[in-house]
Amino acid sequence: MLPSNLLSVWKRKGEILPRYAKSSSSNDEAANFLIEAYKSHIGEKKKVLKALVAELEDKGYEYRFVRALSLLLDRKSTFVCQCKVDPVDLRRKIFQATEQFGLPTTSENRRKILEIVASKMALAVEDVEEDFYSDLDGELVLEKFSAPSASELLGEYNLGLTQTLLFDATELSFTASGNWQDLFHAIKKFGLIYEVYQDNGLWVKIDGPGSLFKLTRRYGVGIAKLLPIIVANLEWTVRAKVLWRFTNEICDFKLESQKHASLLKKPHLPIVTYDSSIEEDFASKFQALTTGWALKREPEPVTAGKHVIIPDFSLEKAGIKIYLEIVGFWTETYLLRKIEKLKQVEVKMLLLVNEALACEKLSALEKRPQLDLIYYRDKISLAPILRYLETKFDDVKFKEIKLLEGLSIRFTEPVVAFREFADRIGVSAEASRAFLAISPPSGYVALADILVSNEKLLQIGDRIRVAMSQSGKLPLKEAARIIEEEGVDDSANVLTMLGYRIRWRGINSEQAEVSKDPKNFGE
Amino acid sequence: MLRLWFDKGTLLLKGEAGTPYGKWDTRVGCYRIKAYHYRDVLEYLAESKLQVEDDVPMLPPLEHLKSNVELRDYQNEALNNWCKARNRGVLVLPTAAGKTFIALKAIQQLKVQTLIVVPTLDLIDQWKKRIKDYLNLEADAVGGGENTLRMVTVTTYDSAYIHAEQLGNKFLLIVFDEVHHLASTGYIQIAEMYTAPYRMGLTATYERSDQRHSLLSQLVGDPVYSVGIEEIAGHLSPYTYEKISVELTPQEQQIYKSQMSIFRSFLQQRKITLKSAADFQKFIMTTGRDPKAREALLARNRAIRVAVNSEAKLNVLSQQLETYKNEKILIFTLYNDLVYRISLRFLIPAITYQTSREERREILSNFGNDKYPVVVTSQVLDEGVDVPDASVGLVLGGTGSNREYVQRLGRLLRKKEGKLARLIEIISKETMEVGTSRRRHQKIRGAA
Repeated sequence: MLPSNLLSVWKRKGEILPRYAKSSSSNDEAANFLIEAYKSHIGEKKKVLKALVAELEDKGYEYRFVRALSLLLDRKSTFVCQCKVDPVDLRRKIFQATEQFGLPTTSENRRKILEIVASKMALAVEDVEEDFYSDLDGELVLEKFSAPSASELLGEYNLGLTQTLLFDATELSFTASGNWQDLFHAIKKFGLIYEVYQDNGLWVKIDGPGSLFKLTRRYGVGIAKLLPIIVANLEWTVRAKVLWRFTNEICDFKLESQKHASLLKKPHLPIVTYDSSIEEDFASKFQALTTGWALKREPEPVTAGKHVIIPDFSLEKAGIKIYLEIVGFWTETYLLRKIEKLKQVEVKMLLLVNEALACEKLSALEKRPQLDLIYYRDKISLAPILRYLETKFDDVKFKEIKLLEGLSIRFTEPVVAFREFADRIGVSAEASRAFLAISPPSGYVALADILVSNEKLLQIGDRIRVAMSQSGKLPLKEAARIIEEEGVDDSANVLTMLGYRIRWRGINSEQAEVSKDPKNFGE
Repeated sequence: MLRLWFDKGTLLLKGEAGTPYGKWDTRVGCYRIKAYHYRDVLEYLAESKLQVEDDVPMLPPLEHLKSNVELRDYQNEALNNWCKARNRGVLVLPTAAGKTFIALKAIQQLKVQTLIVVPTLDLIDQWKKRIKDYLNLEADAVGGGENTLRMVTVTTYDSAYIHAEQLGNKFLLIVFDEVHHLASTGYIQIAEMYTAPYRMGLTATYERSDQRHSLLSQLVGDPVYSVGIEEIAGHLSPYTYEKISVELTPQEQQIYKSQMSIFRSFLQQRKITLKSAADFQKFIMTTGRDPKAREALLARNRAIRVAVNSEAKLNVLSQQLETYKNEKILIFTLYNDLVYRISLRFLIPAITYQTSREERREILSNFGNDKYPVVVTSQVLDEGVDVPDASVGLVLGGTGSNREYVQRLGRLLRKKEGKLARLIEIISKETMEVGTSRRRHQKIRGAA
């Protein structure tokens, strides 16, 4: 963030536009000039450095831009007071000496007093002069400087400029691709209030308690602090209302990742951490199983009236999305507030509730059709959750099968894969399999993952019989090739279906042979 | 039953009834009310015979206080008027008239949790000392590194503004020292975001050139007492005023003229006339986008700097220091660099915004107890900090503001037997300083 007097913006048709420093030869030159100036002035006084910075202003660079860059570099510098004695103590001694000898109005008297103090402190008079005000800002000496690159500096400038502009914001709306937990946490920490609404995705509008009464800049600083957390995401869009400081007219401000991300310094996204070991334990156990359910930590927020809940997890399978919230150790007031919010949730949510919290208010939630509760003690056990997910999925599967049964489906192709069929109709693979395998359409046979027409099976059977006619045997490899040529990739099941058996010699399929199963062919 | 509580500088009311003071806040599903209506809301609900659970005040514990404040007649009258106005209102008294004591007496009578809001950190120290001396109470402070609350707490306008969300419901009486500051766009929100039903404003210079003081009536109360410098002259030190004009050195004259002509010819070229403060503000705005205008402004600033910081002034200053070597002297300048030049040349302790709080305390206390006879400062001591026996003020530069003049004079007017206060202004001849000096005197009688 920069001081307001360095804010460099302009206004066009009610829109406020920061003068961003794009990477150009002239801007890079200014940035590099300053970075080099700082590097080469280690050991020099700040006022000498600042005089050099002022030269850049005389070269036609915008003064606010130059000073802002210099200020950002100051923050990467360590300035120290290089003095032989503590200047505060030195001054005290000198002022005390004037008490004794009177204020010097001539240079002789002045020199005399300084000599007395100098000799007392075992210093030369020149040292006394030098150290007298060596702790003033301009007298400090540059000791250390960690140099950024020109593009880093410009990115920092552009981010700082945007934040400074937002000091005058009365409200801000944003949408972002993630990082929600941090964002809502920060909104609360900065004393702001949010409302959410849908507009091609979830938008969050932010202002403060007092914004209800009048347009106020009071919350501008909080809004500005929020910006880095928003733009740390991959995608974001920001809209703000800003009071133009000279006329108090309201201007629009827009910022979007597609256009502006490359201009701004990208702050680091904090690493996702778990709020509690319960959550962590649950996540690692769940992910160790192959359930077909995709587990996501901190999914997008779920609206609850004008507020949001960021559930701990979401679970997704076959178009079913279930949010999962762990209700662990909460204070009563927090719990009551949470219950109020949960009542307004309109999506499917599973609550894992610590038994110790069980209360009347909580059990009232059981009546909400969107919510389901599973209680746990000490540790979350997966079994009831998996059973719950299975029933949820069964419900869906059952509905899908009913749907499929309602359709009059006729196949023409010789081979139908269950999964491909599921995708074509838009149902789960499980429903498709159940529907096709349990009662295959007439003229078809169901294998493990496919339907094959009787005609196709006969064709394959004929070719294999011919290939086998001499020796009565056929290498598995050869049989599989024939079956594949016919467009079926489940050779083992096809052969079984046709009444052949596979004789294995060791585990190597190269040596496996196919022969007639005497049981089926009755020889 | 209704419930009323404090939420981040506002009040929230939940229940089956609203109030004419609130607004329905859809974001939270409650009535939201500006904090300063706390008293109005309670009165409205009481009149409507509605019961309310009032969770607003979160007050620090009361402490026992022992007062030995004796008020002068006019101070008593001021306090009475304030009490009659239901413990609200602004008191307008000249500097050095003892405004602090009226506030201390009010605290003693009301015996409630009190927040005192002051413009500077030095004034925090001064108020704490007065509270200790006259109420026998330890006061705490918020600001300048301190951060604790007690029955009586002192803070700066800045801290009161920044922490309004946390401090807003902790006090029943709020005293605004130098209340004219409160009317500025930012600080006015302090008055809105605190619930304290009792409010007292103190100032010597109530009116603001931007007229925003009119906002104070609703938020603090009307001016309920006003007294001029003549009416209480017997309680103040008599004073004289003197102006000494100096000639710029030939070199300075040359710089002054050349720089001013850059500025003037720019104005002529662009046909700009600068008659009022508003004209000037407009001109300043153009310097943000017009490099020529900025160059003109910088030239003007250089000229003024040469005039204000003239070497010739330092020679006169030297004579004055000789003349008044047995008096306690405050030297005021416009720019900090002149403060340090004077400090280095005459070995005089300096106070600017860069001076650390500890060193400031040390210098002021040594100035108070006669160890240091002279202190040089820019504008940071304009307000507050009373040194009763400072008798000579040497003004080497200032803004054209009448308020600044009154305040600097006020530093010298504390009554002490046999004291004659002298305010001496040293200005550069044939420069803009002459006009600036005239401007600040125009309303001297009215304002003082």
